[in-house]
Amino acid sequence: MNDNIADLVDSRTGRQSRSIYASEDIYRQELERIFGRCWLFLVHTSQIPKPGDYFRTFMGEDDVIVIRQKDGSIKAFLNSCTHRGNRICRADRGNARAFTCNYHGWSFSPDGALAGVPLESEAYFGELDRTKFGLIPVTKVAEYKGLVFGCWDANSPSLDDYLGDAKFFLDVWLDAMPGGSALLGETQKMVLGTNWKLPVENVCGDGYHLGWAHAGAMAAVQSMDLTGLSVGNSGVDLDGGLSVAGMNGHMVLSALDGVSGYAFYPDPKPILEYLEANRQTVIDRLGEVRGRQVWGAQVNITIFPNLQLLPGLNWFRVYHPKGPTQIEQWTWAMAENDMPEAVKAQILENQCLTFGLAGLFDNDDGDNLTACTEQSRGWRTAQMDVYTNMALGRSGKREGFPGDIASGLVSEHNQRYFYRRWQEHMMAETWAEVPTYNINSLTDEEAEHA
Amino acid sequence: MLDRPLAPPPVEVIVAVTQALHREARLLDNEDLDGWLAMLGKDVSYRLELKSRRFRADRSPPLPLGPGVIFNEDLGRLKMRVDRLKSGFVWAEDPPNYIRRAVSNVEVLANQADNEVRVHSVLVMHRNRIDGTTRLLTAGRTDRWRSEGSCWLLASRDIVLDHSVMPDSNLNAFF
Repeated sequence: MNDNIADLVDSRTGRQSRSIYASEDIYRQELERIFGRCWLFLVHTSQIPKPGDYFRTFMGEDDVIVIRQKDGSIKAFLNSCTHRGNRICRADRGNARAFTCNYHGWSFSPDGALAGVPLESEAYFGELDRTKFGLIPVTKVAEYKGLVFGCWDANSPSLDDYLGDAKFFLDVWLDAMPGGSALLGETQKMVLGTNWKLPVENVCGDGYHLGWAHAGAMAAVQSMDLTGLSVGNSGVDLDGGLSVAGMNGHMVLSALDGVSGYAFYPDPKPILEYLEANRQTVIDRLGEVRGRQVWGAQVNITIFPNLQLLPGLNWFRVYHPKGPTQIEQWTWAMAENDMPEAVKAQILENQCLTFGLAGLFDNDDGDNLTACTEQSRGWRTAQMDVYTNMALGRSGKREGFPGDIASGLVSEHNQRYFYRRWQEHMMAETWAEVPTYNINSLTDEEAEHA
Repeated sequence: MLDRPLAPPPVEVIVAVTQALHREARLLDNEDLDGWLAMLGKDVSYRLELKSRRFRADRSPPLPLGPGVIFNEDLGRLKMRVDRLKSGFVWAEDPPNYIRRAVSNVEVLANQADNEVRVHSVLVMHRNRIDGTTRLLTAGRTDRWRSEGSCWLLASRDIVLDHSVMPDSNLNAFF
């Protein structure tokens, strides 16, 4: 299989075999080597604030419940009864003192312990060792400034090391203001007939599609400039943004104007006022580069493999794979806790308008991604390649930023790193074989004074 | 809630409003979006809220800023959506998708305001998409319709969608 994987992607030339978007065998290997190995986003702490609060999600195709404990810590378990395997929680979220299986009535406490077994003394003759039948915990659960991740692989690096230099950019949302961050609203769930890698690729680096695929939406709601990108892709300013990669498989697109994140708000005024009122605070906390240029700008952050967040447009999303050619896409609005309530409400409103289930932009992407997947399933198309070969070899260091950086939001630099990381994981038998790299890493001091 | 039951609306009103619902569905099916906009009141509110699947006994408080929406439109926003669909740039609608709406379970009820009625209905939307697949969406609707001059105009619509996971890649369509 590894020889085969080596052939499927060439990050030097920007080539991918279309089979990686449709093959069942490759997908099974992804569940093991990517979703079974990487740190996966589970929940934002704001979504389960109180003891007993729980949130149901997926790690790959494994159904998981994440539960706030009495002591405030967070645990996660497979959503599966240890007796016969039935799903124990059928709700999306809520608060519970116990989870009781529908099948035979086994009940589990929020810490995962098996708390009750009907007819325990009569039918099991008191011989059942309950301590051996607690819910199966996710091997590792860790938090980075409100973002809770889980990982099945005991040999993985720490979450901190896994995120690496992506934290430089994550902090532009998570730690720009002292009050931290929150996700807003119910989960916006959509099923799409696409391979999971295509939407990740679309958002991690593909500024190219914006002015074309979303021309109708841009014409409807654009109120400010975004690096010169325009309806119909008639122009672009490559100096106005960065494509940042080479950070353990995480990628960032960032405009550098400190405001364009709100370019697709029909009325950005209240948010621009918030940005300007707090600009100095953020500069004091994160330094000039991030405080002045990045905070408020359009920023696309991708945490490998399946988490994407866009401070500015303020949507936060995970893609749950459901077979090689299907996903569930889950979206929330994201806000800073220091924002006035009216600004938060506007963000939730505008996120739903632009990237919600009837989102003006979102509704353009689904069919393209689905069709790219379908055009990888034919007898002939499955033998073909596709390309991310724009602006090859035009990347390097940029003062004040970590990462291997190409100029502009329109480049395919980030996608090449995404597929490189995919290949590194797919070829590695164990975590020890997966390379760690944070190219052009900044020292803490450099980051602060950047 | 109402203090006292209101007399049911006259049969002519029930017929006229029911016909308006059918006409509205036909205009939308035929992509006569300007014709549809003309059936809306100037102060129209068009809403579809998000929801989550919860246990009946769940006591979690409401989310701090509410559930969020799929649609929360006034006339200006609906016109903006129509402008986008008419821009010629919405590739997902070209060639056109085959859409057919069936309206049923229509109940026309009196409202406090003399010139208004409340209307419950069910909408089934059949979408045969460019990609060759067919999606069937169902929704419940609670409307207010208002008599203005010789016509009935939609004053508000609250939509409840019967899908916890949207089974379609877009909602370039109105309920």
